[in-house]
Amino acid sequence: MSDGPLIVQSDKTLLLDIDHPMSVECRRAIAPFAELERSPEHIHTYRLTPLGLWNARAAGHDAEQVIDTLIKYSRYAVPHSILIDVAETMSRYGRLRLEMDPVHGLILVTTDTAVLEEVIRAKKIAPLLGARIDAETITVLPSQRGQIKQSLLRLGWPAEDFAGYVDGQAHEINLLQKDWKIRPYQELAAEGFWHGGSGVVVLPCGAGKTIVGAAAMAHAKATTLILVTNTVAARQWRDELLKRTSLNEDEIGEYSGAKKEIRPVTIATYQVMTKKKNGVYAHLDLFDSYDWGLIIYDEVHLLPAPIFRFTADIQSRRRLGLTATLVREDGMEGEVFSLIGPKRFDVPWKEIEAQGYIAPAECIEVRVNLTETERLAYATAEPENRYRNCATTRTKRDVVEALVEKHVDDQVLVIGQYIDQLDELSEVLGAPLIKGETPVKEREILFNKFRTGEIKCLVVSKVANFSIDLPDATIAIQVSGAFGSRQEEAQRLGRILRPKSDGRGAKFYSVISRDTIDQDFAQNRQRFLAEQGYSYKIIDADDVFQGKI
Amino acid sequence: MEMRSFSDYLRSVDDAAFLNLFNARPDLITPVPSDIASLAVRACSAPSLARAIDSLNQWQFQVLEAAASINEPFTEKEVVALTEKEAKAALSHLVMIGLIYPSDDGMRLPTQLREVIGAEPAGLGPASMAKLKLSELKDAPADAQKVLERLMWGPPRGSVGDIKNPGPGVAWLLEKKFLVPLDQRTVILTREVAIQLRGGKIHKERFVNQPKLSGNKRDERQVNLAAIANVSTVLRWVEELLNFWADEPADALRAGGLGVRDLKVVSAHLGVDESCTAFIAELAYLASLVSIDGDERILPSSKFDIWLMQSPADRWQMLASQWLITSRVSGLVGRVDAKNVAALGPELDRVNAARVRALTLDLLRENPGIAPEWNSFKELLLWRAPVRRNSSLQEELAEWTLREAEWLGITGQGAISKFGLEFLNGDDLNSINEDLPKTVDHILIQSDNTAIAPGPLEHEISQALAMMAEIESRGGATVYRFTEATIRRALDHGKTGDEIKTFLAKRSKTPMPQPLEYLIADVAKKHGKLRVGNTSSFIRCEDTALISQIMNDKKLELLSLRRIAPEVVICDMDATDAMRVLREAGYLPAGESANGMILTGPKSNRSVAKPRPPRIIGEIETPTPEVISAAIRVLRTGEKSTHRQSKLRQVASEALGQLPRTTANETMEILNQFIIDEKTLSIGYADNNGGVTHRIIDPIRISAGALIARDHATGEVQSFRIPRITGVAPL
Repeated sequence: MSDGPLIVQSDKTLLLDIDHPMSVECRRAIAPFAELERSPEHIHTYRLTPLGLWNARAAGHDAEQVIDTLIKYSRYAVPHSILIDVAETMSRYGRLRLEMDPVHGLILVTTDTAVLEEVIRAKKIAPLLGARIDAETITVLPSQRGQIKQSLLRLGWPAEDFAGYVDGQAHEINLLQKDWKIRPYQELAAEGFWHGGSGVVVLPCGAGKTIVGAAAMAHAKATTLILVTNTVAARQWRDELLKRTSLNEDEIGEYSGAKKEIRPVTIATYQVMTKKKNGVYAHLDLFDSYDWGLIIYDEVHLLPAPIFRFTADIQSRRRLGLTATLVREDGMEGEVFSLIGPKRFDVPWKEIEAQGYIAPAECIEVRVNLTETERLAYATAEPENRYRNCATTRTKRDVVEALVEKHVDDQVLVIGQYIDQLDELSEVLGAPLIKGETPVKEREILFNKFRTGEIKCLVVSKVANFSIDLPDATIAIQVSGAFGSRQEEAQRLGRILRPKSDGRGAKFYSVISRDTIDQDFAQNRQRFLAEQGYSYKIIDADDVFQGKI
Repeated sequence: MEMRSFSDYLRSVDDAAFLNLFNARPDLITPVPSDIASLAVRACSAPSLARAIDSLNQWQFQVLEAAASINEPFTEKEVVALTEKEAKAALSHLVMIGLIYPSDDGMRLPTQLREVIGAEPAGLGPASMAKLKLSELKDAPADAQKVLERLMWGPPRGSVGDIKNPGPGVAWLLEKKFLVPLDQRTVILTREVAIQLRGGKIHKERFVNQPKLSGNKRDERQVNLAAIANVSTVLRWVEELLNFWADEPADALRAGGLGVRDLKVVSAHLGVDESCTAFIAELAYLASLVSIDGDERILPSSKFDIWLMQSPADRWQMLASQWLITSRVSGLVGRVDAKNVAALGPELDRVNAARVRALTLDLLRENPGIAPEWNSFKELLLWRAPVRRNSSLQEELAEWTLREAEWLGITGQGAISKFGLEFLNGDDLNSINEDLPKTVDHILIQSDNTAIAPGPLEHEISQALAMMAEIESRGGATVYRFTEATIRRALDHGKTGDEIKTFLAKRSKTPMPQPLEYLIADVAKKHGKLRVGNTSSFIRCEDTALISQIMNDKKLELLSLRRIAPEVVICDMDATDAMRVLREAGYLPAGESANGMILTGPKSNRSVAKPRPPRIIGEIETPTPEVISAAIRVLRTGEKSTHRQSKLRQVASEALGQLPRTTANETMEILNQFIIDEKTLSIGYADNNGGVTHRIIDPIRISAGALIARDHATGEVQSFRIPRITGVAPL
């Protein structure tokens, strides 16, 4: 029996003892096929999932390698059923291949006729197919390349896509590394993507995903469409690209609610793409307006469903997904896998933090006692109003005030869900508020002031969750959230995780009301953050007032 | 001495032969028969013969079929001619176990053997009565050829539209007597013709040699590693299952056994599928670790506590040894076609379960280092135990055995493990204790409120942890999660917050994370804020002075009052009695309804139970004319038939005189003899009422404990239960 760092559990989780001398080596070995589920301080948990195993197959690993790795590092005997399951699952990938045939066009080829027979009989697949060529081959309607990949994945027979990509219209793009240097992991990520063809790169917020995108564009050297979550993010992409690449202002267009520019590199928002006019998507032409050589999806985990549908139609173009987490609240991870592509690169937050690229963060939960009146109001509130009721209690205000006062020298962000609560806080704290209705112009001015240090404290609504760049926020205070959603948490933490010039640690406070559902949601948050390896503390509001922290 | 019958043969053999015979057929001496004659009768009885046939492999059975298709007496040479030269060895085995016996004029079969094998052994029809010119078969017209091809490999019967007007092919064959008419619509191919067509052999293919088992080669070390993982898993399963039932006993179904819902609950708890759960439950049941108490609750027994104290090897041995011999089949639970079969229920016994299990394990043992491929295994199984009596489920039983052997760790990665071999050989199982991973005495607590035991935990620690945390993942290690609910559970079990903290701090190798400490303190603080108890009545009063007065009133001591709030007192007596006592002591209480209304006026009591008036027992109702006339008709018919029968009996007894009397063994011997000779007999036969009547019969055959014979009195073929035959005598 070896004394390895890994324990393979019968429920397909892998426990990695990170204090073990072989743990780094083992992590590298299992990362390609196992999904990191949580990474608290001593034992990291990975999980074997079909998608993870298929990701590994796509990256060129076979079942034997996976099994050898498990056996090699395992401390105890690996349950036989798991080995069988791994082999079985992995053998399902690649039995079907999509290829481009010079005569017949797009074809589905199999190495196992039984599988082909099974899938062509499936109700969802049959309409996507054309004529049968021989026992192992059948034509696929060229327009259904994405659809068939989706349907096959649902049947459990993911197809490998060898049908290739169009080069797109060439356009010279280079990285200009004058006063900065691309980080090794960013380069690896871009290369991993390029060799894989299409796929997703998973990097924590603040780890420089924009640069990975720029590096991918430099690989493609072709016209590029970039899809981002909102206008602010679009502008930031533009600024970054101008700074990091050989592109000039005339080459980059913005396609948003405000502007409709189509240039060799076009940055479009999800919002405008999914806008409907008279019941039809009005801006779909954008996908065809240029012979795009690369399409970049920022924040893949937020990709709205209609975009998936368009993506299904453009399977012959290279696609790069960028995200901090593959977890989707709507469970559409399979869609990301089949339509954008398998995971091509990922690295846990802690590892990048250890390399000094992002700031270490500390999470502190502050529990507030409700007053008698507030408790009564909470107890009698209608169920649908309960969260709002306890998340916006008056008592939280004092705590926030005390916290802001305590961090008077730091850049502080106060984040919340409910506008009236934020309005009030903004007034009390004397800090400007950015909310949905704040004009983009004004937003940018405020962000700039915050960046330069002219403003020390900013109150933001959920608009700040996505893709804004606040380089020097060291403190975030969350007063209310979207029911403890995991991805929101990642976003908010990402706000303060950008590397700080002086190497100071960041702090993430969440203020919650004791003994209410606010506290239940906070438990999800605690779990998520602790699973990500952040230090987590729970304190009472009194500790804040008494200056104990 | 003349040697013709089986008993004659038995009288002639030596002790060694008996030894072999009894070894192969232990049923012959349970109980030990009184003499050779009764031994012979038992050995020739259908159940015993069937049992003996079950022990044959496919080749031996083929030889027996061949022997059964020749007229008696026959010679070894004849059998060899119809099969292969290897038949000699098989024949001597058949003689050894008494399925064939030598007599003066050649070999014979025990009388009932053909009955047991079936009327058409190897799909062959009856021997022809006429002399056949087999050489003419070559010249059969095309139509006849077609018919022959259809019938030659059996079944030998074929139906025709009308026997009087058959097609040309059938007509030709009937004319040549190759086909014999059975009834109006059926013809049968005679045995000689079929054998001729089969090329002088009985079987198309003769399976002389045991097929080779194919499968995946396994490395011995890996097999043992996998097996020990299985061993530790199965021990953990049983322990967890019983701990679960100790907390929340399952309710047994009215028909007995574990309900589907409870099975699902347990299966979710263990994290295994339902068939595996059923297996674990049965395993615990067989080892008497679980019992069903008087209240129909399924609970761990006191033996479970003893079991827990034993070494892993002993614990495993206890489970495996019971599993090996049981007739219960947990694989039957929850099958699609038999939904209602419950684990721990009464419907799981199958007579052939242990036999198939033993055979399956034998085959595994004969092929070490191989994880059998199922089709090959099935083929081998079929050769070793060709499907015959009680063959139902044989394949499934073998499949389940393979599955269960893997769960138990008798196999690892599908091939037999060293523990399995040691167990089946009855050796010492110490290697299990040595090979199991060493227990650990610590856990690692992390700030996401989980604790991880990086190996099997010592018993006490795992018990304590199971109380204060939820198990989230199982395997070599165990992952526990602390939540508000689990901490509360520990508090409910009487632990204090500090005790929990101390225990965790002592057992954890890593420092206690602050959030967990906070969680424990927080729950402990809130625990027990609300108090709940039982009481019969309450007394309340806004005047606290009056409450204090009744609390201190000596006359009210029998009410055993308890003050739970300044204005509320509770009492164990019910409200009416409490009021009476208070009134007697001079107070002026008033009753209060559930919604706080004062109850005034005399209270007239009403029963809450539904009224159930007593049943009227009286005269029988007058029947309707229809009922009466129907009853009369029945009576008249019955009377007529009795009258006719007694008349027949009278005739018979006049013809016969005295009732014959023979012992049971004599009866069987004479009957067997007369069946062969086809002679008429007189018998005494007890009817349903115990009256013995005299019958004259032509015996035809013995089948299923009954004599099939033609009764001369009625002229019909009738069956006579053997035990009711009081005696037989030749006429």
